[in-house]
Amino acid sequence: MKTFNQIVQELFNIKEEAIRDELSSKDIPNWDSMNYLLFVAELEKNFNISFTMDEVMNAQTLGDLRKLVEHRAS
Amino acid sequence: MNARDVSFEALQIGETATFSRTIHEKDVEAFALLSGDMNPLHMDEAYAQTTQFGQRIVHGMFLGALCSCLVGMYLPGKRCLYLSQTLIFKKPVFIGDTVDVEGTLISKSQSTKLLSVDIVFIRDKEVVAQGQAQVQVLG
Repeated sequence: MKTFNQIVQELFNIKEEAIRDELSSKDIPNWDSMNYLLFVAELEKNFNISFTMDEVMNAQTLGDLRKLVEHRAS
Repeated sequence: MNARDVSFEALQIGETATFSRTIHEKDVEAFALLSGDMNPLHMDEAYAQTTQFGQRIVHGMFLGALCSCLVGMYLPGKRCLYLSQTLIFKKPVFIGDTVDVEGTLISKSQSTKLLSVDIVFIRDKEVVAQGQAQVQVLG
């Protein structure tokens, strides 16, 4: 199973050391609408969890998504 | 021929879709014109005979076009929005070959309406190419 940060690196093409929870679509050039959907789907598949549409639409930062993953996976 | 019309909810993980396609010389020529890829390995029999393949081979991305057919017509079909595709060419495909294109739905994301579809190309029970499509099912 991949880690959250590994999926961030793969989908958004940023280095591990650059990953911070406060990063959003404004900070990550590859965070466009399509990549975001692929990122969410990869998180769900990798961690065997499901988000709601509201959660996906309301998440603004990597930290928001990391908390959702931790909540679902716990 | 109409594309299959099915909702996201009705799609089942594990469901499959298959079609066969015999690839003729005119297909290779049409693809070369369409793509601009006139590489002699696809277009020049004399040159192709000097290579390890001994004959002209089909453009790998012609198989990519068949992936588009699979997701756009069959799995999921009409409501498909094609987002990404991986594809590995494992064996050459030759003019006159018949390939079975088999898609299997391996995951669904309710929140994003995304599907992952594994796609394999089989010729005479041998996998000649494989990949994975990510598509969104439109409402």
